[in-house]
Amino acid sequence: MRILFQIRPILAALRSHKTAVMLLMLEIALTMAVLGNLVFVVYGTVQRSRVPTGVDESRIGVIQSIGVIGTANSGTIENDLAVLQAVPDVVAATYGGPPLWFTQRDSVFLDPSHGHKLGRVYEFQGSQGLSRTLGARIVHGVDLDDNEIPAVTRYTPTMEIPVLMTKALGQHLFPDGRALGGVIYDSGNNPLRVVGIVDHLRGSITGSPDDDWSIVTEFMYGHQDGGGGFMIRVRDAAQLPEALRAAAAALQKANPGHVSNKTFTMAELRADYFKSDLASGRMLVAILLILLVVTALGVSGLASFWVQQRRRQIGMRRALGATRRDILRYFQAENFLIVSGGVLLGAVFAYALNLFLMRRFELAHLPAHYLLAGAVVLWLLGQLAVLGPALRASAVPPVVATRSV
Amino acid sequence: MFGYYLDLALRSLRRHMVLGVLMMLAIALGIGASVTMLAVLHNLSGNPLPGRSDVLFHPQVDPRPEDLPGAKDEPPDDLAYVDAVNLYRLGIAPRRAVMSGNWLPVRKDAPDSPLAMYTDRATTADFFAMFGVPFLYGSAWSAQDDAGHAQVVVLSRAMNQQLFGGGDSVGKTLVIATKTFRVAGVIDDWNPQPHFYDLNDGAFGKAEQMYLPFFTWLDLPQDYGYGPMDCWGNDPNAGAHDPKAKQCTWAQFWVQLDTPAQVADYRAALVQYSTQQHQLGRFQRAPNVRLRGLLDWLDHKHVIPVTVRMQTWIAFSVLLICLVNTVGLMVAKFLRKAGEIGVRRALGASRRDVFAQCLVEAGVVGVAGGLLGLPLAWLGLWMVRQQPVNFAASAHLDPSMLGVALALAVLSALGAGLWPAWRASRVAPALQVKSL
Repeated sequence: MRILFQIRPILAALRSHKTAVMLLMLEIALTMAVLGNLVFVVYGTVQRSRVPTGVDESRIGVIQSIGVIGTANSGTIENDLAVLQAVPDVVAATYGGPPLWFTQRDSVFLDPSHGHKLGRVYEFQGSQGLSRTLGARIVHGVDLDDNEIPAVTRYTPTMEIPVLMTKALGQHLFPDGRALGGVIYDSGNNPLRVVGIVDHLRGSITGSPDDDWSIVTEFMYGHQDGGGGFMIRVRDAAQLPEALRAAAAALQKANPGHVSNKTFTMAELRADYFKSDLASGRMLVAILLILLVVTALGVSGLASFWVQQRRRQIGMRRALGATRRDILRYFQAENFLIVSGGVLLGAVFAYALNLFLMRRFELAHLPAHYLLAGAVVLWLLGQLAVLGPALRASAVPPVVATRSV
Repeated sequence: MFGYYLDLALRSLRRHMVLGVLMMLAIALGIGASVTMLAVLHNLSGNPLPGRSDVLFHPQVDPRPEDLPGAKDEPPDDLAYVDAVNLYRLGIAPRRAVMSGNWLPVRKDAPDSPLAMYTDRATTADFFAMFGVPFLYGSAWSAQDDAGHAQVVVLSRAMNQQLFGGGDSVGKTLVIATKTFRVAGVIDDWNPQPHFYDLNDGAFGKAEQMYLPFFTWLDLPQDYGYGPMDCWGNDPNAGAHDPKAKQCTWAQFWVQLDTPAQVADYRAALVQYSTQQHQLGRFQRAPNVRLRGLLDWLDHKHVIPVTVRMQTWIAFSVLLICLVNTVGLMVAKFLRKAGEIGVRRALGASRRDVFAQCLVEAGVVGVAGGLLGLPLAWLGLWMVRQQPVNFAASAHLDPSMLGVALALAVLSALGAGLWPAWRASRVAPALQVKSL
C-alpha cells in the first residue's frame, strides 16, 4: 500500500528528467515491438516444424533406386515389392514416394473441360500398397483395394481411376459434404472417383491450408521395371534403421541395373526439410537475446546514474525516517512506471512493425497475447535490471544528507 | 584542440567507468549483430564473377501463346530447345553457351564397378572461357567436339578425386549413362555464388560435378529430368519429358558481348529473330525480348533469401535500439558534467567548444564500441557458418566489411551524441557556477 503513496513523488521526480525518461521509454517500446514480432516468427516456425504429415512417420523408410536407362535390369516392380515385404519386420512396401519429397502438384477441376480450376493438390501416385505403406487414416469410405485399382498396362487416358482424398480437400471441393463418391479431374482427362477420405496427408508443410489438399492414386504394377522412390513401413519404429538397411540391400540385389542412391527414414527427411527454417529461427533467437541484454544495460545504466545523482536526497529521506526497504521500493516503483509507459507505446510500435512485416514478408497478424507476454517479459527484465542500482541506493547511509557533495 | 578534447574524454570516461562501459557494450552488441547480417547480405549479393560480369548477358525470347492464362509480360527465364539451338547458331556474339543440368548415373570404365549419380552441366565449348573456369589438367572441349557430338567430359576436382584419386586423368575413360566418355580436362574448385547461370535449383549451393557437351548429352539414353522444364498448352505428349518439345522451356543461354555496340546489335538481332519466328507462325506474341547484364539479372531474380533480408532488418532495428539506449546514457552523462561545463563556459569556452568536446567523447565511445563489436561480428558469422543453411559458406568477414563496421560504429556513436552534445552546449553557465 505504501508504494501507492509514493507514486506522486516519483512522477514529480521523473518530470525533472523528462528527456532521459522519454528515451528509456522509447527504447523499451522499440524493444517490445521487435521482441513481440520476433517471438511470433520463431514460434510460428517451431510450430510448423511439428505439424504432422498424416502418415505413419516414425515407421516409414524410403529407398531411392534409380533405373539406368539403356541398361538391362532383371528386376520387376512385382518382384521388388515381394523382396521388400520379405524383409523381417516390414509390414507394407510400395513403389512411390513419401510426403515432403518432390510430391507432384497438379490443378484439379470438377468439370472434364477444365473450365473452372478449384485449386492445386498434391498427387501421391504409386503402385499397389501405397496407401497401406503411408498408413494414413481412412475416416470415411474404404481404402484402395488391390483388386479394384487399374493395372498400369491397361491404362487409357479416359478411364476412371479410384482415389483417396484428404478431408480438407473434400471440404474444399465439395462444400455440401458429398466428397465421398464424387468425381474430379486433374489436368489429364481421367475422371478420378473418390472412394475414401483420409484424415490428413500433407504434401508439404508451409503453413498454408492447402498443404493438406492431397489425393492418392494407385496402379497395379506387375512385370514392369521401375526406378525412383520405394517405401517400406515397419511394425516397430525401433527396427526401422535395421530393416531399411536390409531392404535397400535386397532391392539392389534384385535390381543390378539400378543405382541405389539414398536411403533415409521419414524422421530424417523431416529433420532435413526443416533444418534451414529452424536454423533461421536460432539466429533470430540470438538477435533477441542481444536485444534483451542491451535493453537491460540501458535500464540499469540510467538507474545507477540516477541513484548516484540522488545520493543526497536519498540520505535525507533516510535521515527523515525512510527505511531501506522504502528506498528500494521507490526505485522499483519508478522502474515499473517507466517500463509501463514504454510497454504502452510498445504495443503501438509492435502493431506498426507487424503491419510492415505483413506487407513485406507475408507474416500473419500478431495476436494480442504476444503483446501481453512481451509486456510481462519487459516488466521482469526492468525489475531485474534495476535491482542492483536500487540495492545500492538503499545502502546509502543517512549521514550522506549532512555532508555537502 | 582535438588532442586536449581526447584527453578530457578519456578522463571523463574513466571517472564514470560504469556508464562508459555500458555505452560501449551497447554499441558493440548493436554493431556485432548488424555487421554480422550486413556481411551475410553483402556476400550473398556479391558479384559472382568480378571482372567478367560486365560483358555477360542473358538473352530471353517469348515463345508463349497469346492467351496463356496467368502469364506475365516477362518472357520465360529459359529457352525452348528450338530457340536455344537457333540462338546458339546465330553466332554474332564473340562467345555464347547454351546449357542445362541434371544428374546422370556414372561408373568407372571397368567391369562390375558400382554406379553412382553425379550432377552435371551440359553446355557448349565457350562456357569455360566465357566464365573464366580455371583448369587443373587438360582443357575444355572444342567447338568441333560440340558439332561432332564427341563423348568427352570435364570433371570437377572433387569428382576427379573420387573416381581417379586426384591425378592427371586426361585421356582416361568413364561410363556416363551407359556411354563411354573420355576425360578432356579437370577444373579446379569453381563455384560462383550466386549460381548465376542457372538459378533454378536455388542461387546458393554446390557446383556441378561434371561438364558434358550439350548436344552429346541430349543424345544420351536418358530422362533424368531437364532442369526446370516448363510447358504450356494441351500437349498429348505431356508427361513424356521430350526436351525437343516446342512448348517447353528449360535451356539456359548466356552470351558475352564486349562493347555497347555489340549489345545493341545483339538486342536488335533478338528482336529480328522474334519477328522472323512470328512471321513463321511459331511465336504468337509480338517480339518480347530481354538482354540483361549479369548483375541486372541477379537483381531481377531477387536471389537473396527472404529470411536473410528479414534478419538484416531485425539486426538493424537492434542497432537502432542500441543507439536510443546510447542517446539516453549520453544525455545522462553530459548532464552530470553540467557543473564542469559551466566552469568551462564561464572561463571563456564557446558553445561550439563544448559541443566539440562532447562529440569527441561520443566518438571515443564509438571507436571503442566498434573495436569491441568486431570480434562479436566475427563470432556471429562463425555461428552463421555452423548453421545448416545453403548460404552458410558466404558468411565471412572481408576487409571492406571491417572498415564498414568501424565506420558504422563511429557514425552511430556520433549520431547518438549529436543531440546530447547540443543540449550540453546549451547549459547556462551562471546557473551551474552558482550551484557549485
